[in-house]
Amino acid sequence: MAQQAAAPAATGMSGHASHGPRTQLATGVAFGPDGSLWMVGLDAKQQLYTANSTDLATWSTPHVLDVSADPISADGENRPKLAFGPSGQVVISYTRPLEKPYTGWIRMLRSTDGGATFSPPFTVHKDSQEITHRFESIAFDASGALHTVWIDKRDMLLAGKSYVGAAIYQNVSLDGGLTFGPDSKVADHSCECCRIALAQGPDGQLRALWRHVFGSSTRDHAFANLSDGAANGFKRATFDEWQIQACPHQGPGLALAGTSPHAGYHAVWFGIRKEKGVDVAAARYARLAEDGQPVAASVRALPDPQAEHADVVAIGDKVAIVWRSFQGGQTSLKAWISMDGGKTFEQRLLATAHGNNDHPRLIANDSHVVAVWRTDEKAEIHEINF
Amino acid sequence: MKSIFKAVLWLCLLAAASNAFAQSGASKSAKTPGTIQMSQIAQISDFDESTWAQLLKSSPRPAAYLFTTSYCSSCPDAFEQLHKAVLHKAPAMPLTVVMMDVSGAQALRHALHFQGLTQMYAFDGYAPAIRYSVDPAWPDVTPYIVLIDKQGHLQRSIGAPSAKALRAWLG
Repeated sequence: MAQQAAAPAATGMSGHASHGPRTQLATGVAFGPDGSLWMVGLDAKQQLYTANSTDLATWSTPHVLDVSADPISADGENRPKLAFGPSGQVVISYTRPLEKPYTGWIRMLRSTDGGATFSPPFTVHKDSQEITHRFESIAFDASGALHTVWIDKRDMLLAGKSYVGAAIYQNVSLDGGLTFGPDSKVADHSCECCRIALAQGPDGQLRALWRHVFGSSTRDHAFANLSDGAANGFKRATFDEWQIQACPHQGPGLALAGTSPHAGYHAVWFGIRKEKGVDVAAARYARLAEDGQPVAASVRALPDPQAEHADVVAIGDKVAIVWRSFQGGQTSLKAWISMDGGKTFEQRLLATAHGNNDHPRLIANDSHVVAVWRTDEKAEIHEINF
Repeated sequence: MKSIFKAVLWLCLLAAASNAFAQSGASKSAKTPGTIQMSQIAQISDFDESTWAQLLKSSPRPAAYLFTTSYCSSCPDAFEQLHKAVLHKAPAMPLTVVMMDVSGAQALRHALHFQGLTQMYAFDGYAPAIRYSVDPAWPDVTPYIVLIDKQGHLQRSIGAPSAKALRAWLG
């Protein structure tokens, strides 16, 4: 059974007046090199803060960070993130929305003392136009290179309305966020407002999975090795064939499968596909081959028609998937657990909540798998025991 | 208190929006016969779990409701299709936009992307619960559009409605 460790929020860190601005609950999590669990998010005063947990039960006193008055997007698919580098660096990223709707810059704070202090914020990308640079994801690869990947509309600006969707861009820092290489395009024609999933491959290099627009309006998913260098060298990873001009607001999840170099990946995503002539909306799971192409026989819907915003992690053959589900006036945090690499799953109910709550996050290190789920009341830590 | 705040906020925001709208040139097209001018919007109203049921009873017919978010960049295009469909209809057809993730001044900034809207709401509460009150089968996807025809029949779509749906809606 999963253990629940409810971490009471510090005063002023949660809740909101019933008609004031809603607290933005979207929160990033990561394990530090010492095994402590870290979170970064906004408090009720819209201040960026970090907290950590050494016992996976209680959070430290929040540490409010100076972001030079940046507004910060921390709602839905757009959340602050943090990542630990190989030499004591800690980086925090977030999207700073600009005045013009649908625009933003990706900002970063950097620490060289394990998160005790952080630099002032700086903009990660070279392009400074008032356009979309949003929905970033960050991760270090096994060599210690920091990758920042985001959704970018500079190509749409050049091409005009004929350009379908947005683009995926990245840049790489080889010194833990001190300096950055050029902005480089990963792919044209991504979907415009879904998170990008990142996972290390068996070679330690990063793979990305994102919602992509194939043709003029088919919103499925694409998979790429971020170290390949060439733009548009991706593989199609899902085949829901969802024809839609809309914003699903539900990005995918990705995790390396097993220890074999050819084991591939676990993926979760949301989509609508025709089944016997009927549109079926579902969060789905599949195994992906090592090049990102789906293993057709493994595709299945999560056992909950209300499932949304699923995430996945894996350690060897142990796989955990979590999602949230609203029904009957309350939201449930549910898990699907596999001990055999995704062949079979057992469903668990981890928690329920009333009121506002964030999408659940799954995070793993060598010793622990935890789901972090922030509600109006607290940031809950649920350890997954296999 | 809430209504006073709303009224004061609206007076300030309306002036700013009208000015920006006029400067953008958008006000010109808003004077066409089938639409209602931006400045006629009375307020941004709260949309909670009980609102949809009330609207189904009290809404003018026909009418269209488009649910959007501050990050839904495909939503203005879908709204534009609705707007084009009713542009020369008389009397004017009400086109309502419901913001799901922001309210107040933030929502008003987005009103400028929806030329021809006649009423704006903003979610007040937990978004999945409100979505569920509108349609339990509505996944977290926008634009979500509900067309109500003269008889009160509903057509729902994710993304812009089809030409067939628009014809059925407009009779």
